This record gives sequence, structure tokens and C-alpha cells, in this order.
Amino acid sequence: MFELTLQALFSGLLAGGYYATVAVGLALVFGTMRVINLAHGELVLLAAYVAYAAETSYGVNPVMAIPVALVIVGSASAIVYALLSRIRQDREINSLILTFGLGIILTNAILSIWKADIHSTSDPWFQDSMVVADTLFAMNAEVASFVGGLVLMAGVWWWLNHSWQGRAVRALSSNRAAATLMGVNPRKIEILSFLIAALLATFAGFAIYTGKTVFPALGHVLTVKAFIITVLAGMGSIPGVLIGAVMIGVIESLTVTYLSASLQELAGMILFLVVLFVSPSGLFGGGRALAR
Amino acid sequence: MTRTLANFVTISALALSVTLGAGAAQAKDFLLGSELPLTGSLARVGQGMHEGISVAIEMANRSYAGKHSFKVQTIDDETSPAKGVAAVEKLAGDGVVAITGGYGSNIIGPASEAAQKAGLVYITSGGVSPELTQRGYPTFFRINNTDGYALAMIGLLQEMGAKKVSIVYLNKDATSSLAKQVNSALTAKGVTVGMHEFDGSTSDFKPLMNKVKLQDRPDAIAMVGYENDYVGILRAAKVLKPQVKAVVGVWSLATAQMAKEFPDLMENVYGTSMLPYPVEFTQPEAVEFAATYKKLFNKDPDYLGQFGYVQTRLLIDAVVRADEAGTLAKGGLPDELRKTDANTLIGRVTFDKNGDNLNFTHRMGQHQGGKVVLVWPQDAANGKMNFPAVPW
Repeated sequence: MFELTLQALFSGLLAGGYYATVAVGLALVFGTMRVINLAHGELVLLAAYVAYAAETSYGVNPVMAIPVALVIVGSASAIVYALLSRIRQDREINSLILTFGLGIILTNAILSIWKADIHSTSDPWFQDSMVVADTLFAMNAEVASFVGGLVLMAGVWWWLNHSWQGRAVRALSSNRAAATLMGVNPRKIEILSFLIAALLATFAGFAIYTGKTVFPALGHVLTVKAFIITVLAGMGSIPGVLIGAVMIGVIESLTVTYLSASLQELAGMILFLVVLFVSPSGLFGGGRALAR
Repeated sequence: MTRTLANFVTISALALSVTLGAGAAQAKDFLLGSELPLTGSLARVGQGMHEGISVAIEMANRSYAGKHSFKVQTIDDETSPAKGVAAVEKLAGDGVVAITGGYGSNIIGPASEAAQKAGLVYITSGGVSPELTQRGYPTFFRINNTDGYALAMIGLLQEMGAKKVSIVYLNKDATSSLAKQVNSALTAKGVTVGMHEFDGSTSDFKPLMNKVKLQDRPDAIAMVGYENDYVGILRAAKVLKPQVKAVVGVWSLATAQMAKEFPDLMENVYGTSMLPYPVEFTQPEAVEFAATYKKLFNKDPDYLGQFGYVQTRLLIDAVVRADEAGTLAKGGLPDELRKTDANTLIGRVTFDKNGDNLNFTHRMGQHQGGKVVLVWPQDAANGKMNFPAVPW
């Protein structure tokens, strides 16, 4: 029983890291623009498919495909921003409709180009097992993605707190009008946020391609998961995303171990509802929460 | 003389045109409808079946050339039951003679109900849930069922002599039905069975597999799900290395696609398969099917294409028979289909009063060195099973 619990906690922690990597880009864009980018999951998926194409067509290791994926996902993200910035009225609602539509377009583009088959890396190193103390088991891909995701999130958190642009992002998130009066160019900062979100999406796509399987319908699933974690964290909170994601990962994993794998999604949703009931603005919410 | 010749030419031309006109009136164009998930989570299987349907249309147009021609109008149900119903209603409105397609028992259920209301035959191989035929719709037909898959899985596990089996299954209609049927049959034969249900959103199977490893300690793991579930389960098993002798699955597993895409995970894994891979066809129809498939899609046929082809070809032949008997326009197609008794690429097909093919029994294949070798039943086997053997 002890072994089962330990493995459940370890698996939950790693799953949480993976969820956080997917969700943090969504949280960043929401923090800056008050826009829920419903195409975020599809951007993650696009990065995964670029890694797949690089590996199968050119024999490139998925790690080496990250710069190419970053350029493609960054361009797609910039297009999403360009379209969003043209919305003049009711931006919060209209942006939902626009990004949902863009997500469908991206999914179908992926389906047309790469067909509906499932794919994952063929590099065996990523699937090899890593054993800690003869008790905790994981794939190399999961541990590498967890560590990489943590480093990336820490980097974003540091950037938000200690760089001029990062502080400008937070200022814009806190009070757009005041930030503009203080000399912050909102358009530059917003597009910068989208590009950072593209970087995070690219890494998340790489993590999924190496540790899970990818297929065209996955993007929507990723967006929903990322949205739940973003709301649970408190809209726009980066550290909250990590903690919320790990909470979801651990509760799901414990549910699989002690109840049933078919109840894991339900357990995550119950946790989500309980947190919102106790703290309606999420774990780290309450106003403009970016970087808190 | 000139006038007489002119009259002769005119009369001859009239006679010829009447003859040709009569001939043209006999040749008919039939429009079939197809409702399939071409996008969404079942896009992979939907597209596979669509390829088989296209091959059936192509081959039927060749074999009935000069007599009849066939077209198919396909609507994507986007893996949504509601859109499946809308697709069937649209096809009915467009005047199709019958519907071939459908994937997923939860989509086929309401879609075939809409076809029943419209008086249209609905034939499928994509839904094996027993509830589909238990409704007793006279217009519903399917060429495969849970029983056929369960027989194959149970037969193989028994041949292995497994005393303890862990069944890891997806909580959908068809997968749950199959898992429960295998559980009942194995339990009745004295096998200890552990049941582990999972949700389609599960991507990390390690906690579940750890239960199998530490609590169940089975001889064999039986998986009932779809491709991405199998990959997740096998990866978790490869990491945790439970002490089992075999890993057995059902559909979408013993395929060329899985052998090519996940060679490190598939070695020694079993799954249902009508054909070995590389494909070996001997019957003339099967050879023509494989050649047409290759011509249209530039790849070897898989089981989805095979099933899609068989259901559509049986439908087309029944449409022609009903038309020749003059009953097609009078709702005679279901009766004509029920008269079917054909040896097909998936074995003998006949339909009972509920439209089920009770002859259906699957075969089991095993991934061996990038190939799929048929290992069960003995009379269909083209190789021996590697046992005990697992991918790790």
C-alpha cells in the first residue's frame, strides 16, 4: 500500500508538471490581455507535430526540433494576436469566439497535413524507465519535461518580476490605462506575452510528443485542461498554475490508485469546484495576479 | 432510291435510339450515404473505414459496369452523436438508398435510430455494443459484434493457460461490454480476473499499472481500448515491468500502422486481426481488393478498410438484387440484406432478425519482428505464438 501511495504521489507530481507547462502560456496571455486563448492547446499540438515531422522526415531528434517549432508556433501565435487585436468591442467575449474558431482551423489543418493517426517519438531514450530507490518509476521523458518545465516557469517568473518588460507586463495586467500613461506600449507588451506563451507552448508540445501520444483532436482537450488549471490557480497567476496543476495531478493519481481510473477526471473537477467554492477567485487570484 | 435509303436510315436511327434508350433506362445510378467520424477523436478509425467504402464503390462500379453505377455521399459526424443524427437526416433528405458507415456505438445508436425513422438501411462495422442489435430495428445491420471479439480474446487466453488476468478497459459502451463479457467467460472457467476501468482522458497509466503489478500479479494483461490507450498502457507497463507472460488487446492493435509507429512497444503484443502483416491474399476478390486499395491510397489495406469494404459491398449487392426484384422502391432492401449468405474477407456473413452477423469470429495476431503473425485459431494461424513474451 505504501509503495502504491508513493508511486501515485510521484506520478501525480510529474503529471502536474506536464499540466502546468501546458497551462502557463494560457495564464500569461490571460494575465496581460484578459483574453482566454482557446487556441492555446492547438498551438501546443502544432509544436508537437513539428517535432514529429522533423523526426520522421529528417531524422532530427525532437530536442533539436524545438527552435524550428518555436518559429512556427511563434508565427501562429503572432497571427492569433494580430487577429485578436482587431477586436474593438466586447473583447473578452469576442476573443473567445475568435480563438475557438482559430483552434478549429488549426486542428483541421493538422488533420489535413498529418492525418488522424496517433504519433509519438521513436527515440527509445525518452521511453526508457528511470527508477528512484527501487520504488518510484517514470519515463525519462516525464522527468526531463518536468525539470525543463520547472526551469522554464521559473525563468518566466523571474522575467516577470525582475526585467523591465516583465514589470511592464504586470503593470499592464494590473492597470492598462495607468501603465500606458507611464510609457508602456501595450501592443508591444501584449505581443511579447504571446511570444512567451508560444515558447511555453512549444516546450509543452515537445513534452507531449516525447512522453504521450499526439493526434489532431488532442488540442481541444489540452485547452480545456489548461483553462481549468488557470481558473483554479486564480486567473493569471503563474506560481498558482504550478501548484494548481500539481494538486490536480496528485488528486487524479490518488483517485486512480484508490478508487478507479474512470473517476480521475471527476475527482479533478470536484477539487476544482471545492477550491472555487472556498475561494471564488482561485488559489492565488484576487485581482491582477500575474507573477504572484 | 435516294428517298427509300433516307427512310431506311431514319427508321434504323429511330430503332437504334429506342433500343439504346431502353438500355439506358435499365442502367441505374445508385447514391449511397455514409456518415462517419472524419474529424474528432475517432477520425483515425473513421477515415480508415471511409477508405474501405471507397474501395467497395470503385470495385462495384467495375463489376457492374454498363449495368449500374454507384456513388457515395459522405458526411463527417465530427465524432458527435448529435451530428451523426443530423448527417443521417441530411442524407435521407438527399435521397440516398441506404447508409454505410458509423463508428462508435454511442454515435451509431442515435444515428441508426434516425435512419430507422427515415426508413433507410444502416449497415456498419464500427459499433459492437450488444444494445445496438437488441433494439430489434429491421433496418439495422452489422457485420461484427462483441461476441466475435470476446471469443478470440478468451480463446487465446485459454490457449495460453492463463490463471490470473487483469482486464484494463475504457469506460465506453463497446469496450465495457466486451470487457465484462470476457470477465464473465473467464470467471466461469475458473480464471481469477481483476477489472480496471479507465476514462478516455487518462494519459498516465502508471498508477493503474502499479495496481496490476502489486495487487493483481496476473499471468496476462488484457487491454480493451483504442490506439492511444494501448500506447499509454504499454508504456506504463514497460516502465513498471509487471511479471506477466503476455499482453493481449483487441481492435486497432495488431496493425501495420502500430507496428511501424511503435515498434519498441508492440513486440510480442497480441491483438485481433483478420489478416497477417505483410498482407497475404489468396482469394480473387481479396487480391482485387488489395490492388484497388493500393491504387487508391498507396498503402496496404488494414482491418478498418477491410470491414468498411465488406459492409459496403454486401449493401451494394443487396441494392442490386432488390432493384432487379422490383422491391427497392417499396422498402424491400432490409429483406434482401437479410437473405445475404456470403463468404467475405472477414469470413461468412449472414444476418439474423436483428441484423447481427452471428457467424462473426475474430482471429488473434501477434507482433513479431515488425510483422503481425496470426496465432489463433489454429486453422487460421500462419505462425506460432511467442509465449511467454512481453515487449520489455
